[in-house]
Amino acid sequence: DSHIQYERVGADVTMKCGSMDWDAAVTWTANGTDIDESHLNGSYLILKNVNLTQSGQYSCYEGSSWHLKYQTYLRVGTPPKEPLLMCRSNNYPKGFYCSWHLPTPTSIPNSFNISVIHGTKEMVCEKDVFLKNRCHIRYIQLFSTVKYKVTLTVTNALGKNSTSLTFDEFTIVKPDPPESVVAKPVPNNPRRLEVSWQNPSSWPDPESFPLKFFLRYRPLILDQWQHVELSDGTSHTITDAYAGKEYIIQVAAKDNDIGTWSDWSVAVHATPWTEEPKHLTTEAQITETTSASTSSFMPPPTTKICDKGAVVGSGAVAARWTAGLVLAAYGVLFI
Amino acid sequence: MAAADSPSAALRRCDLCSRGIRLAGKMRSDVVDLLDAYVEQQGLDTSVSVTAVEGVPTAAVERWDEQSGIQRLLENLAAYRAFRALLAQMLEEQREQLGEAHADAALGRALAAVLLQVSAFVYHLEELLQLESRGPPSEEGTGAPPSPHLTLFERKLRGLRVLQELAQWAVRSARDLRQLAKLGPGSSLAPSLAESP
Repeated sequence: DSHIQYERVGADVTMKCGSMDWDAAVTWTANGTDIDESHLNGSYLILKNVNLTQSGQYSCYEGSSWHLKYQTYLRVGTPPKEPLLMCRSNNYPKGFYCSWHLPTPTSIPNSFNISVIHGTKEMVCEKDVFLKNRCHIRYIQLFSTVKYKVTLTVTNALGKNSTSLTFDEFTIVKPDPPESVVAKPVPNNPRRLEVSWQNPSSWPDPESFPLKFFLRYRPLILDQWQHVELSDGTSHTITDAYAGKEYIIQVAAKDNDIGTWSDWSVAVHATPWTEEPKHLTTEAQITETTSASTSSFMPPPTTKICDKGAVVGSGAVAARWTAGLVLAAYGVLFI
Repeated sequence: MAAADSPSAALRRCDLCSRGIRLAGKMRSDVVDLLDAYVEQQGLDTSVSVTAVEGVPTAAVERWDEQSGIQRLLENLAAYRAFRALLAQMLEEQREQLGEAHADAALGRALAAVLLQVSAFVYHLEELLQLESRGPPSEEGTGAPPSPHLTLFERKLRGLRVLQELAQWAVRSARDLRQLAKLGPGSSLAPSLAESP
């Protein structure tokens, strides 16, 4: 008859061929392949210091008749280490969820049992529909000072382990990041970017439980972020962007009163509005420079402006030279 | 007195709610700082789990989202009147414990500041109830309960409990006032006929 046998990595395993005597002539196979006689002690199969690759189906056949006398499925694995448990409320005040996983795989099936105690009351943790290592708890009370204690026990055929978390209602509140972050240039404003976003869809009641936001932005060419904290609203205009530089922008959210900041949102990129380079004809129109500003690179002003009455030939050369300067300047700008 | 559902009353309610929310936020921030100072000065440990103490209002509530506006106001008012008396008692005990000179130390001043904010909040809640033509209930029996010969350690634990629950209440109150503010002009804070007892 076939059954499953669990053994620890590194163990020495002895398999008997069912009810066959020790001195019976038998053949052992592993996953259909004959096992060398050097692993046999009489009719017993000896596997020393087993490893994960030795998991498989082991069968024992009577020597002459090839009748199957014994079959087992060997699963080599490890007892569970202390599991990693986290609990979080991203949908306050509805409830919270707890997720867990093992730091290293055991290679054999594990079962998990979770208990959630609030004061003296045991609470139900409903299994997640999609994720097998997560369950959800509904808040029965709000604004409680009594802590929650969550204990997770993981068990497999080779042992068990457990861990506990104790926390209060407020400390685990952490919204999901803001959604639909959009950044757009503002027409005719070379230093502005308009950023907007939405509350995370998992936050059930932003009107009664408003979120505040943290926006960070930097030009791609720099490492240092600038930050803005916003106590209300889901939009902000950046007014100190470097002209013509591409920016990376992210937003995070937090309940106005309790808990911790969300992770950063997906990053969006945007470049402030820039004036279209003018088409150059026989006479170049030199763009006016702004007053000295460290935030934008502008082509240096030429000392000579072409006269309209200038000779065509020399004027054209001067126009082409000036045009070349302007184009070279824009070329550097967009590197 | 304006009718509870008149536009001017609704505006006044909105204004009181907004200011109340800001006051609750400031109060919470100060109470959290006070709690840290209290724990340190009294030689306590915040991991100590203090069970419910008689007379200290508990912020914990079930079916919070189903409460009517009036219920929210009445529960808040009862709680903050109790906190006002409890904080005054703590301040007095502080003075007795440390002597008049030391009572003005930072902790004493912080306690007094929070007491002032709690008193201001009580006033806010009373005004909101006046707007509902309910008038605030009388203050009989809202003083601090007589402390039956508490030891010094028991007083410290009670003080810890007071501040912990006040910090929770400050969060709850901001939420309660936002719920009230959500009700537009013309809405009554009273429960519907189906809800009223």
